[in-house]
Amino acid sequence: MEQKGVSLELQSPIRIDIGMYKKGLYKETDKMSDLICENYPMVLVMSRFGIALGFGEESIGEVCRKNQVDAYTFLTVVNFLTEEIQTVTPELCEHLSLDTLVLYLHNAHDYFLDFRLPHIRRKLLDAISSCPTDVAFVIRNFFDEYATEVDKHMTYEERTVFPYVHNLQQGKPDTKYNITVFSRRHEQIEQKLSDLKNILIKYYPGTGSYLLNSVLFDLFTTEEDLSSHTRIEDKLFIPAVLHFEKRMLKK
Amino acid sequence: MNANLRIAIYESSLIIRNGLSNLLKKIGMPVILSDISEGDSLCESLRIHRPDVLIANPLLLQSHALHHWREESGCPELKVIALVSMLWPEASLHNYDGQISLYDDMEAIKQTLLKLVENKEDENTDDEQQSLSAREKEIVVCVVKGMTNREIADRLYLSTHTVITHRRNIARKLQIHSVSGLTIYAIVNKLVELSDIHQAKE
Repeated sequence: MEQKGVSLELQSPIRIDIGMYKKGLYKETDKMSDLICENYPMVLVMSRFGIALGFGEESIGEVCRKNQVDAYTFLTVVNFLTEEIQTVTPELCEHLSLDTLVLYLHNAHDYFLDFRLPHIRRKLLDAISSCPTDVAFVIRNFFDEYATEVDKHMTYEERTVFPYVHNLQQGKPDTKYNITVFSRRHEQIEQKLSDLKNILIKYYPGTGSYLLNSVLFDLFTTEEDLSSHTRIEDKLFIPAVLHFEKRMLKK
Repeated sequence: MNANLRIAIYESSLIIRNGLSNLLKKIGMPVILSDISEGDSLCESLRIHRPDVLIANPLLLQSHALHHWREESGCPELKVIALVSMLWPEASLHNYDGQISLYDDMEAIKQTLLKLVENKEDENTDDEQQSLSAREKEIVVCVVKGMTNREIADRLYLSTHTVITHRRNIARKLQIHSVSGLTIYAIVNKLVELSDIHQAKE
């Protein structure tokens, strides 16, 4: 079982290892459908910007404008995730729309909390229903504890960080809070998910099943997804807010 | 491969840099840093990213200054591998911890890098075994029952420092970093009963 699991990690085509799909820097004139086909994890990114499928032959720029999404911010996130953009320059920060970026992060939170985690939970409980009740019990406990942690982590951002950024943009900076406070306490949240994956791979006592394999795939992709989410927050969002704070100070 | 090496590349050619990066990714050793520009910023980058290994074009890095780089960047343990792309006097490569030729195949590169890890792990081969010792299992049971490090230390006649070391080793061996994760491990391996945990929590 262990060997099988490890080879999954190395070969699974479903893994959201975004780096491996990259086809160079994406531009406004590229077709949206090409972006998604060459780079299918971007379908998640797109929907977090509030863009739905069914855009025909339209370019990224056109699709963004129709959906009232700032194309520059959209492309920055895309190119950042494909690792075409590695450093955040002041020029980039100048052009970035913080509102759009916050909306993106907010929708990502909704996705994880209201869809992804509950969905995995249902599947997981179903998949482990045949294993001994005490084992099923502790696995469920583990997952619920994890979901509560993620909820706490993201709720803090929703209730404290995003309102702070909103007020900052309205020209009402908070005297007690700044983005550095957030950057210091911001931790990665995918570690525990990786633990669960390891536990299932190495120690799961029941017979394997297609459903359990599918849960395992979900855990791999969600771990990657959460880790890129954190990366966007740490390496793009925080520097952009920091830039904005500095600009406010100059005024 | 379970060698968590943090690798940086110092090479001016984008083609070689990306090629090597992709190759290392394939053998499970992702590169953390490849866009170092020439000159002073190398030291700065090393200080920030603290890689374990630097694969560098010897043309860009004067070998006699290796110890200087290590000191300046605050990475005294840094291993430096020469990326040799042309005929190069052997004597000047002595200061490096290894060499990769532009014409090496994947396996050769992998072995060169693994050799660095082996040397590192020789110092603590004993606890590289993946299964837990009897003592570690005892500690897992205590942790799962919700005991603090202090309580575990008292119960097992150890210092808290030793308990912490054991816990760190357990986390590394099992790749489980939380109490609730250890609980699953303990239940599955029948180290505790569910009722033990419930009682302890009440």
